[in-house]
Amino acid sequence: MQFEAPETVGAAVKLLAKASGTTRMLAGGTDVLVQLRSGTVEPKLIVDLKRIAELGKIAPEKGGFRVGATVPAAAIGENVKVRKMWPGVVEAANLIGSTQIQGRATLAGNLCNGSPAADSVPALIAASAVALIAGPKGRRKVPVEKIIVGPGKTSLKKGEIVTGIVLPARPARTGDAYLRFIPRSEMDIAVVGVGVCLTLDAKGVCTAARVSLGAVAPTPLLVKAAADALIGTKVDAAALAKMAKAASAACNPIDDKRGTKEFRVKVAGVLARRAAEKALKRARGN
Amino acid sequence: MARVMLGGTLKSLAGNTPVLEVDAKTIREVLDRVGEVYPSLLPILDRVAVAVDGQIYRNQWFAAVKPDSEVFILPPMAGG
Amino acid sequence: MPLEGDIAQRKTTFKQIGTRPIRPDGVDKVTGRARFGADASAPGMLIGKVLRSPHAHARIRKINTAKAEALAGVKAVVTRDDFKDRNDALRDVLVNCMARDKALYDGHAVAAVAATTAAIADKALKLIVVDYEVLPHVTDVDEAMKPGAPILDKTMFTNNVEPKPTKPSNVASRCEFALGDIKAGFAKADVVVERSFKTEATHQGYIEPHACLANLGPDGQGEIWVCTQGHYMIRNTCADLLGLDISKLRVTASEIGGGFGGKTTVFIEPVALALSRKSGRPVKMVMTRNEVFRATGPTSSTSMRIKVGTTRDGRITAAEADLRYQGGAFPGSPVELGAMTAFACYDLENVKAVGYDVITNRPKQAAYRAPGAPMAAFAVESVIDELAKKIRMDPVDFRLKNAAKQGTKSAYGPTFGPIGLIQTLEAIKAHPNYRAPLGPNQGRGLASGFWFNFAGQTCTTLNVNLDGTVALAVGTPDIGGSRASMCLMAAEELGIGYEQVRTIVADTSSLGYNDVTDGSRVTFASGLATIMAAREVIKKMCARAAKTWGISADAVTWEDGQAKPAGSNAGNFKPMSFKEIAAASHSTGGPLAGHHEINADGAGVSFATHLCDVEVDPETGYTRVLRYTIAQDAGKAIHPSYVEGQFQGGAAQGIGWALNEEYIYGKDGRLQNAGFLDYRIPVASDCPMIDTIIVEVANPKHPYGVRGVGETSIVPPMGAIANAVSAAIGVRMLELPMSPPRIVHALDSRLKKAAD
Ligand SMILES: Cc1cc2nc3c(=O)[nH]c(=O)nc-3n(C[C@H](O)[C@H](O)[C@H](O)COP(=O)(O)OP(=O)(O)OC[C@H]3O[C@@H](n4cnc5c(N)ncnc54)[C@H](O)[C@@H]3O)c2cc1C
Repeated sequence: MQFEAPETVGAAVKLLAKASGTTRMLAGGTDVLVQLRSGTVEPKLIVDLKRIAELGKIAPEKGGFRVGATVPAAAIGENVKVRKMWPGVVEAANLIGSTQIQGRATLAGNLCNGSPAADSVPALIAASAVALIAGPKGRRKVPVEKIIVGPGKTSLKKGEIVTGIVLPARPARTGDAYLRFIPRSEMDIAVVGVGVCLTLDAKGVCTAARVSLGAVAPTPLLVKAAADALIGTKVDAAALAKMAKAASAACNPIDDKRGTKEFRVKVAGVLARRAAEKALKRARGN
Repeated sequence: MARVMLGGTLKSLAGNTPVLEVDAKTIREVLDRVGEVYPSLLPILDRVAVAVDGQIYRNQWFAAVKPDSEVFILPPMAGG
Repeated sequence: MPLEGDIAQRKTTFKQIGTRPIRPDGVDKVTGRARFGADASAPGMLIGKVLRSPHAHARIRKINTAKAEALAGVKAVVTRDDFKDRNDALRDVLVNCMARDKALYDGHAVAAVAATTAAIADKALKLIVVDYEVLPHVTDVDEAMKPGAPILDKTMFTNNVEPKPTKPSNVASRCEFALGDIKAGFAKADVVVERSFKTEATHQGYIEPHACLANLGPDGQGEIWVCTQGHYMIRNTCADLLGLDISKLRVTASEIGGGFGGKTTVFIEPVALALSRKSGRPVKMVMTRNEVFRATGPTSSTSMRIKVGTTRDGRITAAEADLRYQGGAFPGSPVELGAMTAFACYDLENVKAVGYDVITNRPKQAAYRAPGAPMAAFAVESVIDELAKKIRMDPVDFRLKNAAKQGTKSAYGPTFGPIGLIQTLEAIKAHPNYRAPLGPNQGRGLASGFWFNFAGQTCTTLNVNLDGTVALAVGTPDIGGSRASMCLMAAEELGIGYEQVRTIVADTSSLGYNDVTDGSRVTFASGLATIMAAREVIKKMCARAAKTWGISADAVTWEDGQAKPAGSNAGNFKPMSFKEIAAASHSTGGPLAGHHEINADGAGVSFATHLCDVEVDPETGYTRVLRYTIAQDAGKAIHPSYVEGQFQGGAAQGIGWALNEEYIYGKDGRLQNAGFLDYRIPVASDCPMIDTIIVEVANPKHPYGVRGVGETSIVPPMGAIANAVSAAIGVRMLELPMSPPRIVHALDSRLKKAAD
C-alpha cells in the first residue's frame, strides 16, 4: 500500500490518475479507516488530501459559501454565517457520528463514500448544493444529486477529486431543514433521512421547494412529486399530507436489518412532513 | 427422616417421584440414599445443587441435614 | 470478639463498610496504564487467527491447509486433527472451539493459523481450502422444534419425556417445576390472562473482545495471559483439552473490559495453546468484534407461553409457563433456570413451569447475568401487569398481595429465608417517580425480578508487610469493582486504612482453586474468605503481642486495630497497633499472613423492583426512557457506589435488550449484524439518570450480611419497559426487542383491526 500526502490539487490528481487498482482519498478518514480495519478494501494507493491548503477553508462564494473538501463537520458547525444561512445543512453535518467523529468527518467524504444513508447528502441536495470537481481533464461543477449513482458508487471519473462543495446564496424567505430517523438517540446510521428546502413569497405561498430522501433507495433521492405537493400552497396540513404521501411513494427501500420496507416507507412520510414544518418555520423567519 | 424432593429434570429422570424420606445426617448421605433408590440419577448427582431448609448448596457434601429438614435436589446451576 | 473463623460472628456497626473510596484500579484504567487481554506481548510472538465457517450448517468433508502452511511467515496451522476427540462433558466445549465433522453455525471455528504478522495470518486463512457440504439449517427456536426441521444432531433424543422418543430431535431435554394443582387453581380464578411471547438473543456486549497470549514450551510447561472471568477455569479446561498436567499451566487474568457471564468459558484459549505448542512460539490471539458476535455466546432466544389466574380481589390462584429456549448448537440453554425463576417473586399454591432446551444453528449460548431469568421475567411480569389492569388494582399492590416473603415455599421448591422483595416494592411505591405526572404518549411500567446468587470455591491469602500495609491476593477476577470491596472488608476487620490494603488478582499458581467470577459471588465469597483471612491474622497478631508481653495468648484482645491486654488481670501493657506488630514481626516469629479457603454457600437470594417511564413517538415507534428507578436488596452494600453501578448497569443493558438489541439472521442462516453499528446497545444518551434505592435485608450467611447484587438487576428491566411501552401506546407488546418497526407495526395492526 502506497500512502501519499501531496500539497496541491494538481499533484493529487496526477497521483490518482496514474494509479492502478483500488485507490482511496483520505479526508477525515472516518469511513476509510473503518473500511481498512474491517478488511473490506485493500487500496493500493491512499492520497491524503489534508495537506492541500486550498481544500481546508470555508470561503464566501457569490453570496453563498465554498466549503473545502477537508473542512470537518465541527468547523462547519462553528461557522456562524453558514449556520445562519443553511441551518438544515449544518444540522445534518452535525448529526454525523459524535463530537470526536465530527472533528474529522467532511461533507466531501460523506458524499464520495457513496452511502445512500449519508446524512449530509439529502440536506445538500435540498439546498441545491454543487460539487466542485478537479480532474485530469480540468475542473467541472456537478449538482450534488448527480454524484452518487449507487451504493458506494459515484459519477466521479478516474483521477477526479471533489475540491469543495458550494452552498449557493439563499433566496429570500427560504428555509431548510434535515431530520433523520435512528432507533437510538445518537451514534447511529439513518434508517430514513429527509432534507427539505422551501421558499415562500410575500404572501406565504410556497414558490419553490426541494425534498430529498436518504436511506430509502440505492441512492439519495430528489423527490419532485413531494416538492410539487408544496409549491403553490401555503404549506398547510393538506399540502403537507400530500407531500408526505409523495415522499412515501418515492421510496424504494429494502427489508433489512435496519428496518422493514413497510416501516421505512411510513417513516419517510412522517419525517418529510416534520422536516417541511421545520423548514417552513425557518422560511417565515427569513 | 428428612424429606427429599427432586426438582426439574431430576424429577422426571427419577420417574416423577414427588417425595422421598431418607435417613441422612449430611448432604453426602442424602445423595447416597437417593442414588441407591434412583440409579438413573447417579451420573448427575455429583453436580447437583442441594437446598437444605431453603439454603442452596453446590458441591457441599458435609452440610448438615436435620431429621426434620426439607431437602430439595436441584439441577446444576450457574450464574453469569 | 472471638477470633475464630466463625461466619456467625456478625458485625453490624462499621467504620469503613458503606463508604465510597476511589477504586484502586481507577487511575490505571483512566490513564490507560491498565493492561487488558490484548496488551501483552512476548519475544518472538506470533499472531493467531481463526478461519470461521461461512455456513450455518455444513458437513466438513476435507480441510486442506497445505498452501497456508507453505506461505512464508506461517509457523503453525491447526484444525480438528490437532485436538483429541473425547466423549465426556467437555466435548461440546471442544467442538465449539474447533468444529469436528460439521460446522454448526455461521462463525464456527474450522481452522487457525499462527504467523509472524497479522497480515500474513489473514492471507494464510484465505489459502485454507475447506470442502463443505452445505446442509439445511434452522435458527429459530419454534422452527427448530417443528417436525421436519433440519436435525443438527442425529444422535440426540429428547431427554425426560415419556414415552422415550424414537426419533432424533432438536429438543435436548424437558424439565418441569410444579407445586399444587394448577387445574384446580385456574378453576378458582375470576380472571385469567394467557399470552405468548418471543425474545431475541442478546449479546453480553462487553467492550473488550476476547484476547490472550499463550506460550506452551517443548517441556510441556505453559502460561496464558487472558481476559477472562475465571483463570482457574481456563487452566483446568485447557489443561484437560490439551492433555497437560494442571500444574504445568499457569494462567494470569488480565484486567477485564466486561464479561457479564460471557467470559466464563473458553473460545480461543485452547486454540492459542495448540498453535503455540505446534509452532514453539508464543501466540497472541485477539478476536475482532465480528468474531465476538458470531462465535462467542449470546444468551438464548426464546418463545414462551404464560398463563396466570387471579381472584377479583387480587390473589393469584394459579400460574403456568411453557418456556422454549434455544441455546445455540449445543444443549445447555438456561431454560431450567428460567423455569425455576419465572414465578419466584410470588407466593403461589399452584404453579407449573415447563422448559424445553432446544438446539439450533447459532453460536453456543454463554451465561449472561442471571442466565435464563430475564426472558421468563419479561413474560411473567407482562402478564402480571395485564392482570392488575384487568382487576383494576394498583400494580404494586397486586404484587405486594402475592409477594414471596420469609417462609414462602418458592415456586422452584425450597422455602425462602429472610428476603427483601416486599421492601423493594414498598420503596418503589414510596418513590416520587411512582406519582410523577405523565404526559401524552408516555407510559409507566414496573416489574420485579429474582436471582439465586451463588458462592462457591474460594481461596484467599492476606500478607502483612513490615510497614503495616497489607497485600491481599484473591483468585476471582474483578469485573465490577470487587478489589475496592475486598480492600474495604480487609481494612474494616484489621482496623487499618483502606489505602493500606492492596488487593491483587493472583495467578493460578499462587493460590488454590477459585471458581469463576460468576453468579454474583465475589463480594460474598471472596469477601467472606478475606474477612476470615483477616481474622486469622488478628489472631496471630494477638499471639505475637502476648509473646512480647509474656502473657498468655487468650489474655489478649483485639480492639480498634490494636492488641490489648484483655483486662487489668492480664497486666498493664501499652496496646500494640497493627503497624507496631507488623514492624516487629521479623523478630517475633517471622512473616504474618492469613489464609482462608472455603467452598462457600449461602450467597443469599436477591430481589429487585424496577420502575420506568417512557415516551413513545406514535408515528415512528421511537421510544425514549424518561425516568428509571431501581430498588434492590443488597443485604449489605460494602461499597455503595459499585452496588449502585451494578443496579444501573443492569438497567442499561436491559434498556438495550428491551428496545433494540437482537441477533438478526438472514435466510441463509448467517448473522446480519455482527457489529456495534447494527447490534444496538444503548449509548449514554439513551439512558436517563438511573435512580437507585439500596434495600438492606441482611443475609444471615455472611458476617456483614452481604448478598450478591450483580445479576438480579438484569431480570426486571425488560418487563418494566414492556409494561411502560404497552401503557404508552395502548397495545400489549409481546416481542423483544420493541424496536421502532415492531412498535409501528403493532400500532398499525391495531388501527387496521379497528377499521375492519
Ligand atoms: C463512529 C462513526 C459514526 C458515524 N456516523 C455517521 C452518521 O451519523 N452519519 C453519516 O452520514 N455518516 C456517519 N459516519 C460515516 C462517516 O463519518 C461520514 O460518511 C463522513 O462524512 C465521511 O467523511 P470523511 O472525511 O471522514 O471521509 P473519508 O473516510 O476520508 O473518505 C470517505 C470516502 O470518500 C472518498 N473521498 C474523500 N474525500 C474525497 C474527495 N475530496 N474527493 C473524492 N473522494 C473523496 C474516499 O476515497 C472514501 O472513499 C460515521 C462513521 C463513524 C466511524
